[in-house]
Amino acid sequence: MLEGGVVGQSVQRVDGLVKVTGESYFAADEKVPAALVLKVLRSRVAHAVVKRIDISEAEKIPGVVRVFTYADIPGENSYGIMVKDQPVLTDKIRFIGDAIALVVAENPDAARKGAEAVKVETEELPPLYDVWSAMAEGAPPIHDKGNILTVGRVKKGDAAAALSRADVVISRLYRTQRVEHLYLETEAGIAYPEHNGLTIKVSTQNPHYDRRDVARVLGLPMNRVRIIQTPTGGGFGGKLDISVQCFLALAAWKLRRPVRMLYDREESFIATAKRHPFIIDYTSGANREGQLLAVKVRIIGDTGAYASYGPATLIRAAVHATGPYEVPSVDIEGLCVYTNNPFSGAMRGFGTPQMAFAFESQMDLLAQALQISPLEIRRRNILRPGSATATGQVLSDSVGIAKTLAAAWEKACQVMPGLGGENQ
Amino acid sequence: MDRFPLHMKVNGTQMTVDVDPGMRLLDVLRDVLGLTGTKEGCGEGECGVCSVILDGKIVDSCLVLAPQVQGREIITIEGVARNGELDILQEAFLEAGAVQCGFCTPGMILAGKALLDKNSHPDRREIARAISGNLCRCTGYAKIVKAVELAAARRSGKEGATGA
Amino acid sequence: MFELDAYYQPESLAVALELLAKSDGKLRPLAGGTDLVPALAKRKIHCPGLIDLSAVSELRAIIAREHEIQIGSMSTFAQIEEFLVIRNRFPLLSEAAASVGSPQIRNTGTIGGNIANASPAADMVTALIALEAEVRLDSSEGFRTVPLQNILEGAGKTHIRPQEIITNILIRPLAPGSRSGYIKLGRRRALAIARLNLAVILAVHENKISLARVALGAVGPNPCRSSALETTLEGQQISSTLVDTFASEAEKEVVRMLGSRPSVSYKQEAVKGIARELLPRLFSSTEGVVA
Ligand SMILES: Cc1cc2nc3c(=O)[nH]c(=O)nc-3n(C[C@H](O)[C@H](O)[C@H](O)COP(=O)(O)OP(=O)(O)OC[C@H]3O[C@@H](n4cnc5c(N)ncnc54)[C@H](O)[C@@H]3O)c2cc1C
Ligand code: FES
Ligand code: FES
Repeated sequence: MLEGGVVGQSVQRVDGLVKVTGESYFAADEKVPAALVLKVLRSRVAHAVVKRIDISEAEKIPGVVRVFTYADIPGENSYGIMVKDQPVLTDKIRFIGDAIALVVAENPDAARKGAEAVKVETEELPPLYDVWSAMAEGAPPIHDKGNILTVGRVKKGDAAAALSRADVVISRLYRTQRVEHLYLETEAGIAYPEHNGLTIKVSTQNPHYDRRDVARVLGLPMNRVRIIQTPTGGGFGGKLDISVQCFLALAAWKLRRPVRMLYDREESFIATAKRHPFIIDYTSGANREGQLLAVKVRIIGDTGAYASYGPATLIRAAVHATGPYEVPSVDIEGLCVYTNNPFSGAMRGFGTPQMAFAFESQMDLLAQALQISPLEIRRRNILRPGSATATGQVLSDSVGIAKTLAAAWEKACQVMPGLGGENQ
Repeated sequence: MDRFPLHMKVNGTQMTVDVDPGMRLLDVLRDVLGLTGTKEGCGEGECGVCSVILDGKIVDSCLVLAPQVQGREIITIEGVARNGELDILQEAFLEAGAVQCGFCTPGMILAGKALLDKNSHPDRREIARAISGNLCRCTGYAKIVKAVELAAARRSGKEGATGA
Repeated sequence: MFELDAYYQPESLAVALELLAKSDGKLRPLAGGTDLVPALAKRKIHCPGLIDLSAVSELRAIIAREHEIQIGSMSTFAQIEEFLVIRNRFPLLSEAAASVGSPQIRNTGTIGGNIANASPAADMVTALIALEAEVRLDSSEGFRTVPLQNILEGAGKTHIRPQEIITNILIRPLAPGSRSGYIKLGRRRALAIARLNLAVILAVHENKISLARVALGAVGPNPCRSSALETTLEGQQISSTLVDTFASEAEKEVVRMLGSRPSVSYKQEAVKGIARELLPRLFSSTEGVVA
């Protein structure tokens, strides 16, 4: 080990001390004298065209400083990590919670009353709450280019032929649910004009991407936008997306005043990304010895109203669809589909946990059909040094799954006495 | 309604502040006194990040109305360290790796403190129960329980096998 | 923060009742605040003014007498859980109190608030109904004492009049040899509103059940007694077959009470599980037996 190095040592985290004393300044703890506060008016319908927004009553409310709508965006009214498809303030509503107007006020009470006083006229469109109706012929397009955002494929060998030769074939349809990250710190930030630019301090996982999108929305060169990541109270992938950043930027830049914004838990639930719900149509084939021969997998991910990390999540899901098992022939397809649901993005595992539910269930079902133990069928199929993955990568060095499996079995026997026996 | 004078003892200091009766204790601590170590995560008693010790008992400050603490004593996370010296529990949290993002940490430490002040030899189940009103989304709790165990052992002067 | 037109913190019951009488229904009692404060802060309800009962010390006492135990309405769940006489004589009540929320909620929420809030899943209410508890309601005009189930009028609704305050909860002692227990099913062990709760009191003589009281919660607008389940137990020898019979009768009872509500298919299964956990505990052990 290097002298003075930390590998193999137990070290205290650098920011630990201020976290146990309560001094650590999270974004909502920032003290900004005379900061204005922001409140977003969010849609209560899932799919509609905004016809008219009347802010005149709202701007008359004492304490309300300004109300912004899509017409006030100085640059491009769109952002997004992979696809620039999400407006800061929208004129087309794509999910319950889409941002329509931004109220800037002297205090939270005025901001809330201001948001209640904004009048919005809409023309509703048929809402598409599931991927099937979104993909159906003639479905109203949620975005201009249609509702199937991306299709990712992984192919190796001739899966159809291999399946027809298999001694046992198991086909199942799996569904997984939408999950909220629920980091304990809700989204928050402050922004203030500084020099000839703008500084934003924000709870985020992605300051560099934030900077790019804020500059785009304000129509400023990147060097005039500065993003400072505050200590972030959990993210788990959910704080990779833009949340309060562009609202803060718009208000602080247009009004040349410091501003602050905090989502309450309800808004955090409504307005931010979720884990993608998947529908997985999974077919596996094996020979009599329990050796996997082929899989055919169709994955449909509901990315909701906006892309966020959806395309990458579905690619990752496709690439990991075989799990830690070696499969000679694969035919895998992952579709990322828009709906009028809350948007889905990155969350711990990035599409892989959903797949694990499917491929591990398939292994159990195969074991059952072949009357071998669930442990044994895994032993016979796990990746080992020299194995090739679904994408054809040959794993030349270490592969951890054999050791993991053995350790898991040992632990299981410890905590579940009487397991052993035929399960071996 | 008009503001009214609220007398209370916060972290050992007797004080009087003018507050609105529609404020929660959490709002008084954060917005009036600037004690932002106390957090808000849900505003409805589910997460425990707003926990403070009120007359020796752990409570959620988002559920307590400011005037309800008239004449009472409050300890927040800022009052746990003494004269710049960390409490044993704070040290144990650091050593056991019980702090990740740190957003739950103030409430967790106070819940642990409320337990240890009453019960100096808690077992694992008692510790788990004592922190059951505090969510942590990062750690998985095991290290937090370990930290409280470690602190309990040190408090009673016989630090042993339970070390981090 | 939310707007309040009036706030009072009286130090005696007499003053509290006087204020309430004069307020013309505009003031609302504030106890621990665990239901009321978040509802007000999130503007789910609005009330012009509050009478905070936290300084009324008369409402905090728990008094054990020979013929009854009197629990002040401002007693917290934690106080009830820890009170020794309650632990020994009414174990189901301390078990119910211990099952509520989290340490924070138990240190703040009160038994009076639990009754007045009238939630279908209120933990104390299911236990108190099995105990045939009575509630004393005071107003500036006088007081009345009524069986608890008579003041429950549906989910979130009671017969408590606007000028009345719950002052005490009264429970008569159980016969010596009685056993009692409480069980709650929530989505997790802490901070979970009951999906189902069940309180059972048995008097057992020579292995035969001479008297049974059974209350179920979260299967209708308010927790209530089940005479069908009481009949299933009364006069029977305690045995494992009786547990099975009780479990299947409980399933029928839940189906009857819930009707076509969507939760029925889950709860009819779940009730068998909690019955199988609670009954054997009461049958076999000396735990929960009134001294
Ligand atoms: C996070 C969380 C978890 C919870 N978990 C549970 C649980 O597990 N089980 C459960 O049963 N409940 C639970 N609750 C609900 C709540 O804690 C209880 O209903 C509690 O008993 C309410 O009492 P309180 O003193 O806080 O009432 P408050 O909120 O002060 O008042 C509630 C209502 O009762 C009225 N009221 C209060 N006292 C009186 C009185 N003496 N006379 C007349 N009216 C009165 C008030 O006007 C108000 O309408 C939970 C609540 C929260 C926030
Ligand atoms: S903020 Fe008080 S419990 Fe979550
Ligand atoms: S450390 Fe992040 S929530 Fe506990």
